[in-house]
Amino acid sequence: MDSNQIAEIIIAEIRETVPELAGQPITAQDSMAELGVDSIERSEVILAAMEKLGLKIPMVQLHGARNIGGLAELLLAKSAG
Amino acid sequence: MAAVVTGIGVACGLGHGKAAFRAGLFEAPDLFSELKREGREPAEGEASFLGVEMPELPEVLPTRLARSATLSGRVALTVLKEAWLEADLDAVDPERIGLVVGGSNLMSREQALAARDYAGRLSYLPPRHGHMFLDTDICGLCTSSYPIRGFSMTIGGASASGSVAVIQAMEAIRSGRVDVCIAMGALQDLSAYDLHAMRSLGAMGSARFADKPGKACRPMDADRDGFIYGEACAAVVLCRQGLTSKHKIYGELLGAGHVADGSRGPEPSSAGQVRAAKMALSDAGLGLADIDYVNGHATGTPAGDDAECETYRTLDLQHARINATKSILGHGLSAAGAIEVAAVLLQIREGRLHPTRNLENPLDPSFDWVGGEAVGHEIRHALKFSFGFGGIDTALVIGAPGTGARAR
Repeated sequence: MDSNQIAEIIIAEIRETVPELAGQPITAQDSMAELGVDSIERSEVILAAMEKLGLKIPMVQLHGARNIGGLAELLLAKSAG
Repeated sequence: MAAVVTGIGVACGLGHGKAAFRAGLFEAPDLFSELKREGREPAEGEASFLGVEMPELPEVLPTRLARSATLSGRVALTVLKEAWLEADLDAVDPERIGLVVGGSNLMSREQALAARDYAGRLSYLPPRHGHMFLDTDICGLCTSSYPIRGFSMTIGGASASGSVAVIQAMEAIRSGRVDVCIAMGALQDLSAYDLHAMRSLGAMGSARFADKPGKACRPMDADRDGFIYGEACAAVVLCRQGLTSKHKIYGELLGAGHVADGSRGPEPSSAGQVRAAKMALSDAGLGLADIDYVNGHATGTPAGDDAECETYRTLDLQHARINATKSILGHGLSAAGAIEVAAVLLQIREGRLHPTRNLENPLDPSFDWVGGEAVGHEIRHALKFSFGFGGIDTALVIGAPGTGARAR
């Protein structure tokens, strides 16, 4: 699993959580907040991605990512650790 | 000052909206069957629960909102939309509109399903579960979708919750707190846990007519063996008299009584019921002789119907026509009072009374029951009872349009 694959998992969860984004391209460079995903939805997306990766860590350890790619890198680092 | 009703929204086994409700109320088709919704399966080896489940909801909500709202929340928004548009509330100052949602522990079926689904994986519980199962999530869904900015709240009265919400809304109008107040009886979305407990308590029936679901719900009949659940939700829009023109009015809420009778659990109290009725009549400035129609609480429990008949006898209601809306819709619990107030108002407008299903051997034949067929009747003043576990007794006096001014 590399960070691109993790980004794809995150994007799939965003599409599931905010069906209204259907048709709009989403890439690793986008930030969820700028896409209009609200804070509760962002938590849902991250938790769902964590479960797909089998990762159990406090959510606070994932703060600070600037975009979907950054979040994927953080998740990859935690998965490896 | 009387509060007048200018809008109604309903959802129940008859369908979504007033057109289906009005048609079905007078035809009284058999809606009862085994409950099929996920989370209402009986214990292993036991008979299915019986009742009424409403048809699939019309898709009126944005997908993003619909996926994050419970069934109780989504139904609330559909009935609010219907009532809102009919009462033309876009024309009212949002800060002068209030919302009272009747009911508590409303979403227990979906909460039980979530507890099942996240057992062993609590770490991944969606944060939204911290607010979406609160009864007040219905307030949040309604006020974020419609410009209601006076106040919003939920209020509990068990099976009387819908009526307690109407009473609270009346008080908000009378006190001048708001000009418009929406009273809602929210959908009580029962889980198997709730259903099983109420059946073992002896309150909910279904044993005697397990293989004939259409016969199981029989309020005020000698062969009743408990209430039968029926999904429902209703909203009525109460307005300060004079705020709107008379032709749009369904009826007037003339008086209310709401007392505590001192019971802890499900046991009824005729003394409390009588006290609530007298309080409502006194509030309306009317006497018992003025009442020409009674909409009973009439759930079909053995003890409850006996106590309610005793109440009718104590009040000498032999001159009034009486029917039981739950015989058609089942018992909506938190929603019952509100959807039955809606039924009273539609009967006022139609000049007819709906049938009482399965009333083959009335408990007390001295009363003027409406039996298996609808009958013509011009209601002037209706008395509507609702009672709840925990010793809660309410009565409402509802008048035809224009009766309020004359009563005073």
